[in-house]
Amino acid sequence: MPIKLFALSTCPYCRMTRRYLDENDVEYDLTEVDLLEGKEKEDAIAEVKEISGGASFPVVVIGEEVIVGFNKARIKELLSL
Amino acid sequence: MFRPGTTIEDLKEYMGPFAERLGYKFNTEEEFVNEVLESEIQILEESGDVYCPCRVRSGDPKEDLQIVCPCIPFWREQFAGLRKCWCGLFIRTDVEDGLELLGVVEEPEGPIEVPLARAADVPEGTALHIKVGKRDIALFHTRGEFFALSNLCRHAFGPLSEGYLDGYEVMCPWHGWRYDVRDGTTDHPNADVRAYSVSVRYGEVIVTV
Repeated sequence: MPIKLFALSTCPYCRMTRRYLDENDVEYDLTEVDLLEGKEKEDAIAEVKEISGGASFPVVVIGEEVIVGFNKARIKELLSL
Repeated sequence: MFRPGTTIEDLKEYMGPFAERLGYKFNTEEEFVNEVLESEIQILEESGDVYCPCRVRSGDPKEDLQIVCPCIPFWREQFAGLRKCWCGLFIRTDVEDGLELLGVVEEPEGPIEVPLARAADVPEGTALHIKVGKRDIALFHTRGEFFALSNLCRHAFGPLSEGYLDGYEVMCPWHGWRYDVRDGTTDHPNADVRAYSVSVRYGEVIVTV
């Protein structure tokens, strides 16, 4: 199942989410939106808005599911950790 | 705007009293608070203001004003159910242990309680206009009690919070329509306004929306 994480380098919950995924050896595709520039950044923000309806981070995409914020219980459930 | 060289302690000193006015306090998890404020200082140095470290700026200055920390006034309704601001830097005054609120962000279902104002800021015989999300609410303090109605008169949308309050009756400032602040009823047919349930806790007036 493809897993994507949209994060901000400044956001504590994004760090917690990364830490949790790393600790559980989950592979994921990380986009640190605030570190991008120009069109790449615009595209990433547009994608986050489209899938989550906002511009709040982190946004975790697990298959078809979108989780906004660090929701450990939900990640655990979806990944059967 | 904060000057260059602003420290975590400067931010705490500056934001604390404002958050208190809004019914919030710094999270009890000090390490977490320092981590967030450290990020804010980094953002301040890069971009000139203390934007939320968990949300992205749109580039539109007007829109971005709404995510300058503390952003509580712009998101009261969303945060009321969470009992903390988005990142949890601030928690509601009545929350004893901020640790339990860290991490999970879940939108509550059903009606939520929103703090409108500090009771002491609305003297007897006066009213206050407060926006909660898309709602315009008139908060009245009369005969020792607080009442909340939709702020807009059904006649021509005059602002009831600026009306004339006499006992339980408020008279619209535009054309004199009368409403009972207890239940929003008026003697004009089909023109009652919505009344909200109000309670006072910890010196704060809380409305259920």
